[in-house]
Amino acid sequence: MIESSLMRAFDGPLTRELLLQPGGFGLGQVPAKSQPNAVTTSVCGYCSTGCSLNLHLKDGEAISLSPNTNYPVNLGMACPKGWEALTVLDAPDRATTPLLRDASGKLKPIGWDTALKTFVARMQGIQSRHGDDSIAFISTGQMATEEMAFLGALAKFGMGMKHGDGNTRQCMATAVVAYKQSFGFDAPPYTYADFEESDTIVLVGSNLCLAHPIMWERVMRNKNKPEIIVIDPRRTETAMAATLHLPLAPKSDMDLFYGIARILIERGWIDRQFIDANTTGFRTFSEFVLPFTLDHVATATGLSAETIERFAALIHEGKRVSFWWTMGVNQSYQGVRTAQSLINLALMTGNIGKPGTGANSITGQCNAMGSRLFSNTTGLIGGHDFANADHRAKVAGILGIDEARIPHEASWSYHEILEGVLKGKIRGLWVICTNPAHSWINQRLCHDILDRVEFLVVQDMYHTTETVQRAHLVLPAAGWGEKDGTFINSERRIGVFKKVRRAPGQAISDFSIFRLIADAWGCGKMFENWDSPAAVFQILKQLTAGQPCDITGIEDYRMIEESGGIQWPLPTASQEVSDLTPSEKRLRPSAGQEQRLFEDGRFYHPDGRAKFLFEAPRPMPEPASAKYPFVLLTGRGTASQWHTQTRTSKSEVLRKLYPQRMYVEINPNDARSLGIAPNEIVSVESQRGRVTAQAFLTPGVPVGQVFVAMHESNANQLTDAVFDPYSKQPSYKSCAVRVTRLGTQR
Amino acid sequence: MSVIIEDNRRAGDVGPPVDRVPSSDSPTGASTSPARQMTVVSGVSLLARLLTDQQQLTAVEEFARLHDDHHLPAQSRYYKSLIPASLPAPGQQYAFEVDLDRCSGCKACVTACHSLNGLDHNETWRDVGMLIGGTTELPVLQHVTTACHHCLEPGCMSACPVDAYEKDPVTGIVKHLDDQCFGCQYCTLACPYDVPKYHSGLGIVRKCDMCSDRLTHGEAPACVQACPHEAIAIRIVSRVQVVEDCEANTFLPAAPEPQITLPTTTYKSKKVFPRNLLPVDFHSVSAQHPHWPLIVMLVLTQLSVGAFLVGLGLERLLSAELAAAIRPLHSLNALAFGLLALGASTLHLGRPQYAWRAVIGLRHSWLSREIVVFGAFAGAAVVYAIGNWFGFESVGLGPFAHDAVGWSVGAFGLLGVFCSVMIYAFTQRAFWSFPLTATRFTLTTALLGIAATWVTLLALAVINNGPVTRLLVRRGDLICQALMIVTLTKLGFEALVFRHLLRKQTTPLKRSALLMTGPLARWTQARFACGVLGGVLMPIMLRTQIGDVEPSSVSMLLTSVVLANACLVGELLERYLFFAAVASPRMPGTIR
Repeated sequence: MIESSLMRAFDGPLTRELLLQPGGFGLGQVPAKSQPNAVTTSVCGYCSTGCSLNLHLKDGEAISLSPNTNYPVNLGMACPKGWEALTVLDAPDRATTPLLRDASGKLKPIGWDTALKTFVARMQGIQSRHGDDSIAFISTGQMATEEMAFLGALAKFGMGMKHGDGNTRQCMATAVVAYKQSFGFDAPPYTYADFEESDTIVLVGSNLCLAHPIMWERVMRNKNKPEIIVIDPRRTETAMAATLHLPLAPKSDMDLFYGIARILIERGWIDRQFIDANTTGFRTFSEFVLPFTLDHVATATGLSAETIERFAALIHEGKRVSFWWTMGVNQSYQGVRTAQSLINLALMTGNIGKPGTGANSITGQCNAMGSRLFSNTTGLIGGHDFANADHRAKVAGILGIDEARIPHEASWSYHEILEGVLKGKIRGLWVICTNPAHSWINQRLCHDILDRVEFLVVQDMYHTTETVQRAHLVLPAAGWGEKDGTFINSERRIGVFKKVRRAPGQAISDFSIFRLIADAWGCGKMFENWDSPAAVFQILKQLTAGQPCDITGIEDYRMIEESGGIQWPLPTASQEVSDLTPSEKRLRPSAGQEQRLFEDGRFYHPDGRAKFLFEAPRPMPEPASAKYPFVLLTGRGTASQWHTQTRTSKSEVLRKLYPQRMYVEINPNDARSLGIAPNEIVSVESQRGRVTAQAFLTPGVPVGQVFVAMHESNANQLTDAVFDPYSKQPSYKSCAVRVTRLGTQR
Repeated sequence: MSVIIEDNRRAGDVGPPVDRVPSSDSPTGASTSPARQMTVVSGVSLLARLLTDQQQLTAVEEFARLHDDHHLPAQSRYYKSLIPASLPAPGQQYAFEVDLDRCSGCKACVTACHSLNGLDHNETWRDVGMLIGGTTELPVLQHVTTACHHCLEPGCMSACPVDAYEKDPVTGIVKHLDDQCFGCQYCTLACPYDVPKYHSGLGIVRKCDMCSDRLTHGEAPACVQACPHEAIAIRIVSRVQVVEDCEANTFLPAAPEPQITLPTTTYKSKKVFPRNLLPVDFHSVSAQHPHWPLIVMLVLTQLSVGAFLVGLGLERLLSAELAAAIRPLHSLNALAFGLLALGASTLHLGRPQYAWRAVIGLRHSWLSREIVVFGAFAGAAVVYAIGNWFGFESVGLGPFAHDAVGWSVGAFGLLGVFCSVMIYAFTQRAFWSFPLTATRFTLTTALLGIAATWVTLLALAVINNGPVTRLLVRRGDLICQALMIVTLTKLGFEALVFRHLLRKQTTPLKRSALLMTGPLARWTQARFACGVLGGVLMPIMLRTQIGDVEPSSVSMLLTSVVLANACLVGELLERYLFFAAVASPRMPGTIR
């Protein structure tokens, strides 16, 4: 090292600001100022990929993080949201005390005692006047499994609510119903290794590059030089990386997949043996697809006949074909049947239950999968059925509650609950860890509905969300990093996350809030064993016994951690774990690391067969018209944004990585004919609302379509509240709008 | 690599210590833990207990991770192939290689760099931009990750007046010496890629050093280790090859021209990019940081130099006696503005206490040269002013040294203005090109020099100096005419930029014109209004007054005050636009 002098300072306090030194714990060099003295791991709390992060601890508190190299999901990588996961906990707008709206309409800080008393008095008051089912809850895919289970059990068995749903209705409901109907259980069959094992990857309505960058990592690590077929109206990043991009007309995917099925059948490119042995309904299906001729499909989708045939040929030529879908399929008025049209393709070509295959729904939120099994909303807790008396008896027995307290039917879905408010049937609403005032479809109506709720309680980390602004009572919650629990990711992998930060002020974990409310409500006794997430995990394990999602073979959080996460199912009798000595277990990279379902060709219907399910495609509910000539697509803007941005907008670094104003993607040809210049501020208007946005001219969005990122707080003023009839999932990606220059506004 | 997870307090194996505060949230698993039973029977209220528990951090006790003391970090298995196994040979250096076909725009590299380098909350050294183009039938979009290009001829390094940059002779890494930097920010203007970032809190610039410490220890830079798609690598490149590539302009479509600094980053792709590929922010114009201390410094140094020169020129037309009468006040007037300018310039430094280091870069930095030359100018001007007031004997010179000293002040001043011009011309920004900047600065020098001289003469006339009053009457018209001509020339010259609005292509000069007529329109209007007021209308009014009214009359004084202030404010506004309306070259950006 050259000596520093006054004239030439090679070293000094400023240089040392950025000094790196070995971090220990296998981390490599880390900033000297954030040198850890212990390291632990947690799965990330944003999306369903379920990456594991190394949390660098100083005296027990996380000071920094880096992706976990040894985790089988993310292989040492993370997306920007994960990298910045700790930063957003320090935001100045964290809710630090309960808040109550006073007579003047302002939210004022109150103590927890008052908050709990108010909660109970108001909710029980409503119940006494309007009946037990006049209060409901809206939950989330962002909480721990143990927390959503607690909420579901508390609300329904303890507080007597009948209706509760989650924001998972907005992302996963379609996949849930599609799987239940086709396979007999909500069971995404794949493991992420399938991304690497496939030789043909079909991605439908899924911009993996931005929405699930770490899953795209797995695609990029595929050594088979796979064909990547991307089906998306827009030229997304993922479409750019495809070997074949099919920019089909919005909502014509069912026509396409039925047409492909017809070609496969016609040419004998099907796995007859698998169909005969493991499925039902193929014969009627093959008759059903007859009208989906090449001509018909080409007209419906706007794709050339050659492209369609090429797609079919690629499916045939592939030895390991996997079909993946995300919100482009799920968020549709006919999402369930669209998802099933993909499932049908996998079934008829025998591309299921083998490495690199499957009809695979990529989930949205970090714990959508946990919600699907344990939220006690649509399904009885533990993947059970409210309508099934045996299930009710089993659950009542394990939980030690009176069977009569278990409703006999599933909850209303999200939009039915909101309609219930309009009809005066729902008077009190408890919203936990979600932001409907931003994210729900047809926003103005949603705001109107929320404003009509007699008593709206919102439980959130931040006091600034659009929904909190409408609440009567706000309960301050600790967030990811400030509490313990488990998440279940897209590939059914259970991962643990931990408390490594102190929550600000009086904020406490959702788990603790549920305990307090149980206590204050007077049903604390029912939950006296529910005294920690770890204890609840043991209860949930018992509930899964004998179910397809059986996890009784998992001992505890430790075992999950040691195994690098554990995919369900892992029943007790499983050879996987129980025959191993403790030291063998310790050294196992993962218990059941690469578990995929249906390897034996047996499905969960009583007859063990999967079903071919299908239905004629329906036209778009609100097609483009002379007055509203564009189809509006909505979706993810960047990898650094998460949904309604309550967290991601709190990191200055993430804020630098996404556009600062609302923008609308429009094709340059459309812009030219409307006289819209690049970057011009334009008006985007539907029958329901109007927003202004900066025009971003890109050939990546087809003529006649425009795209708006869902993270914009008023994007849903435009969307049209139509729902899939089976999954009740909102159709966010199809409504008609017009785009006008501001100067030419009426 | 084996990872052992140690738990020294596993329920069932060893009971928890008696004195430990039981944590109801402790994820120990088995529900039979004695600790848990304690929480249930505890007499404290549930609320109080849960609030306390919320503040207990137990993760490390429950799952402490121990690792082998391995030589290389666990992550190295993923990046081993992405960094060179050896040091560069002579004629070679390290360089970033970006595989555009693998860059999907996730931007993990930006956050990893931020986090693993311990940067401040809003500080980022890497950026990811996007290019779009193609047709509706075959659209093309391409994300581009970019950081420092560790150029062969780094603009930052040549520009730096204090030698706070060094290019490692072996690795070629361009490193910034944070403790050497005094925060002049000239490098932020000199780098065509917007790489050095000013940290106002610390008063210095910081930038990417290719994680040279990590490379030294066999570890990959943060961005390389964190890219999920292995799009970024460190490769060894031949310096000759870099030069050849830059000459052929194969760097990256729509990026700043590489021949200025010879960037070493390789952007590779198997794709054939369409000719219309443009950055998504191509059509956005945003005003640049104005650098107020520099605005004041430039305008006032030019005023001062101009005042000296106009004074010296005027003396040629006058008798020795009259010249001697004017000289003391005028030199003091000019000196005062010169010193004010130099004072203002130190305000621009993040760490002004190290201003003296500016002499270090004299051999290559125009900023060093400007500082040294204006230093000499100020010194000579002080001598000149003292000599004019107290006689040149008092400073050890001959009684008639005023001419020699005066002209050396003028010469240093002109040289200083030339250095100022070169500082901006060096950046190769179109709006700051040598001809444009030289014309601009020279005309300011003349314009404010004339205005300042008028102020001196008027002041002398007011304090009842008969000969000066006669001079005003005789030559005042000439001075007013000169001011009007210079002003109109300058305003006309500045307005020439608006002709670029007619261009179909968005050139850098069109961007400047767009900025001046768009976001900066009010500044532009004010600038031209002040220019016309001070340099045209007021001189016209003065010409009607000269000979008719006393110099000390209210109307004459008022007109002159307005003239002087409007000229000065007009030039300050002109210089504001000079900084704010420049189109800076940059790598492809994001939607703005």
